[in-house]
Amino acid sequence: MNKHKLAVFLFSYASLILAQPPVAPSPVPAESLDGKNNGNYNVVNNAELGYRFRTVGGSANQYRSSVNYGNGIRLLGGSLLMNSKDGHGGLFDHLSLTTQGLGGDPYQSASLRVERNALYRYELGWRLNEYYNPGLVTNGGNSFHLVDTTYGMQDHNLTLFPQSKFKFFLGYTGSAQTGPAYTTEQGRQGIQLMDVRRRWNEYRVGSEFEIAGIRVNWTRGWEDFKEDNAFTRSPAGVPGFPGTANANLLGLTKADPYHGTNPYWRVALFNNTSKWFSWNGRFTYTAGRRAFVLDETFLTAAGNATTTTRALNFGNAQRPVATGNLNLVFTPVSKLTITNSTAVYNARTQGDTTFAQLSPGAPTRVVTYNYLGVRTISNDTTLNYQWLKAIGLFAGYHYSDRYINSTERSNVLFIPAQQTNILNSTQFGVRLRPVPALTVQLSAEIGRSNRPFTPVAPRDYTAFNGRAQYRRRNFQILATTNTDYNNNSYSVTNSFSSHSRRYAVDGSWTPRPWLSLDAGYSKMHLDTAGGIAYRVAPGTLITGERSLYFSNMHTVYSGIRFQAKDRIEIYAGLTRVQDTGDGRATAAGAGIGSPRAIFQVVQTYPLTFQSPSARVSLKISRQIHWNAGYQYYGYSQEFNLNPNLNYRANTGYTSLSFVY
Amino acid sequence: MPKLRALLLFVLCALFAATLSAQPKKASKPAPQTVTSKAGGKFVGSKACTSCHQEIADTFFKNPHNKSVVSGKEPPERTGCEGCHGPGENHIETFAEPGTILAFAKIPKQQVLDTCLKCHSQTLSRANIRRSSHTVNDVVCTNCHSVHHAATPQKLLAKTQTALCTGCHLNVKAQFSMPFKHRVNEGFMSCTDCHNPHGTFQPTWANGARPRHVETSKANEEPCMNCHADKRGPFVFEHSPVRVDGCMACHVPHGSANSRMLTRPVVFTLCLECHNGAGNLGRQGNGVKVQSPTPHNMANPAFQGCVNCHVKIHGSNAEQKYFR
Repeated sequence: MNKHKLAVFLFSYASLILAQPPVAPSPVPAESLDGKNNGNYNVVNNAELGYRFRTVGGSANQYRSSVNYGNGIRLLGGSLLMNSKDGHGGLFDHLSLTTQGLGGDPYQSASLRVERNALYRYELGWRLNEYYNPGLVTNGGNSFHLVDTTYGMQDHNLTLFPQSKFKFFLGYTGSAQTGPAYTTEQGRQGIQLMDVRRRWNEYRVGSEFEIAGIRVNWTRGWEDFKEDNAFTRSPAGVPGFPGTANANLLGLTKADPYHGTNPYWRVALFNNTSKWFSWNGRFTYTAGRRAFVLDETFLTAAGNATTTTRALNFGNAQRPVATGNLNLVFTPVSKLTITNSTAVYNARTQGDTTFAQLSPGAPTRVVTYNYLGVRTISNDTTLNYQWLKAIGLFAGYHYSDRYINSTERSNVLFIPAQQTNILNSTQFGVRLRPVPALTVQLSAEIGRSNRPFTPVAPRDYTAFNGRAQYRRRNFQILATTNTDYNNNSYSVTNSFSSHSRRYAVDGSWTPRPWLSLDAGYSKMHLDTAGGIAYRVAPGTLITGERSLYFSNMHTVYSGIRFQAKDRIEIYAGLTRVQDTGDGRATAAGAGIGSPRAIFQVVQTYPLTFQSPSARVSLKISRQIHWNAGYQYYGYSQEFNLNPNLNYRANTGYTSLSFVY
Repeated sequence: MPKLRALLLFVLCALFAATLSAQPKKASKPAPQTVTSKAGGKFVGSKACTSCHQEIADTFFKNPHNKSVVSGKEPPERTGCEGCHGPGENHIETFAEPGTILAFAKIPKQQVLDTCLKCHSQTLSRANIRRSSHTVNDVVCTNCHSVHHAATPQKLLAKTQTALCTGCHLNVKAQFSMPFKHRVNEGFMSCTDCHNPHGTFQPTWANGARPRHVETSKANEEPCMNCHADKRGPFVFEHSPVRVDGCMACHVPHGSANSRMLTRPVVFTLCLECHNGAGNLGRQGNGVKVQSPTPHNMANPAFQGCVNCHVKIHGSNAEQKYFR
């Protein structure tokens, strides 16, 4: 490997450290970048096979929620890259396959790309994610379940004649979700976990061609989705099940299936070839609909008698969505670019559901119709002007008009409503490049909305962004700042305000090819105050109080990489996240905001999450490297709320990397 | 509002005036851009370049740009070395005198963009590149891509994608270090699962103002729906902020110190800050509904976990209160 390529690799690698990924898999050995020639193909192949281990103290469930690496043998990473040397391979000219975490990691993925020049390109993406949901608790909130939620996703795309003016596309995307989710008993207090089995399949076909210099891209797709589940609670019940409302519940049988489809059209036209004018437009139409039924049967006790109650909910929901975009870009002179964008969005969600209690007693029946229409028209104009070589300016104006139409109707209810929300915002900024290595950018945005939809939505906001970057060949430093203030005022007691300030600095330095250093710091401040209204006893509404939230999040990360005699590589890094809250010593705070304890103790949430790691790689031979790494995860809530979620985890791995 | 409009008008007028003053009098069309006065000459073919740039030539068969070479159908200005770097005759005859060939590190950003788009404009995913906020902020092709020294075999990225994006977006990098986050550092996801760095169509949720560079899903929806399809609906009873303001009304998409990437550490403050009955907000325009008189009692811990009962909080088929 020549010096230049090595320098590029190392500088790229240095920046990889900054992102602070898990300690395994190891970075790809530098030797593998060149590959071996085999016939008409050049082959670059490497794989890392290893063993992960972990020990966890404290809340294992919280660890599973935020880290979730386990024990066992894994194909930690692998890649295969084949290229035909003359560009005229047999079945393919290019093949690349990358994998990660196969064999049991909670985040497994693979991607494949096979391509024959001018004839076809096939791309596959596959992922499997095991996620532990800490929000699902049993036993009145005191116990956790034991099951991961599993998401599996696969994506296939085939492009025929990818270099031609006439391209054809075929695609399939499938995903499935299994795992625990909450369910209730006819909406009554008392929750249970049920196993969900959800599946989506999307099929699509399309093409792209050119007419009179205009590219036309169209796609027709069908997305089908469904869930088929059934739930039975045995008469023995569940220990610790919340009691009051369900003491007499002996059994429950429930089926909650739905099936639906989202067929869609997408048509795009674009022309980007002219230097002074380009434009594009897109139109989409999606006709979503679903049918559902919810069938519940309860067995309840009343004295010495038992009663069977059966109720059904069934109906349909539809949501046709039509959208349009038109974007114009003018470049009258090379220094000036003017863009104008118009977007139209029209969604009409409507449906009806019928509730029918079949027994006991006389059947009851309630039909509810619901409609929510959202129509948004927005327009955005931006001017970008390079005034001098070292100074550039830009400014923009955004206008949007949103109309919301709502109707709720049932046997006893009829609530129609319409409203219009208008947003005006403007942004402007300057780019400076006083010397080639230094760039400075400053921008601001001011927005006013006459009627946001929710109290926390932007209504009166001001944002400021700044960044300065100094970059040399082996050294760079970057500093950024972002301020985002949103002030909504409806009344003295029910106003909402949000103040966010973020500062960050980041540097990386590669003084020698065998040494690189990285470090960064970020502070994110957030304080919000929102009016609240709540009940403390049936019928008693408390108003005029405010919910406060303070967060001061400090993030530090650093890494050092050292290479000795082209044989040993050592890396050590640290990431530490600490929310110092508002500085209070106890959860109860100083009596600001709502006087009630339940709001006081959640006004701030100081915690520490840290993860030091170290890795060593030893080059045994040109083809084999031995790696070992250790990573510690520590999560600690300062006020140690119930349940105690703090944990400490020691994780690590040892592996062999093969390059062949 | 009048002040805002006046400010906008002033900025527009100032830019317009500056533009007029900068234009040459006869320039009804933009002048063709040139590299330098020394560049040019005839096209000599890529083989002439290999005598000096052997290292690049040796591995160029791995480069996706090699497709234009092996096709044999492209004119000289669209293929091989000169397809990007311009005609090489003067460069060779002057023995590589500086300024005789188009060097991307030394030309204006706009010219980098124009040069790459000569060929790469014919892709829908790049249709919005000239109006993207990256372009507005002088981030062009060579800021992320390295044609001859790529760190990734696909897309010719100068670094891994995560390192590239978080190299500038420092706050996002910090968010991905949080206890609860999307698994980008873990390699399970990538930034382009949700974003298109080449520019996107304008979003349509939250009045369409922000965020930028977010790739919309099928019906101009948030990209969250690509994976979290169970939240997409349609539902008879939509939790209307999901549809109107989007997922970020409650969630922090990159990472958060709070479970499930919520904007608050506990769910009941998140709900109550909207459901306070204030102003002319909400679906009916008379304030977002407050808790019903029964059975709510915030003094009882059972009622502090709102989604314990309102389990279908993103939308329900059967029940207006999202109970089931």
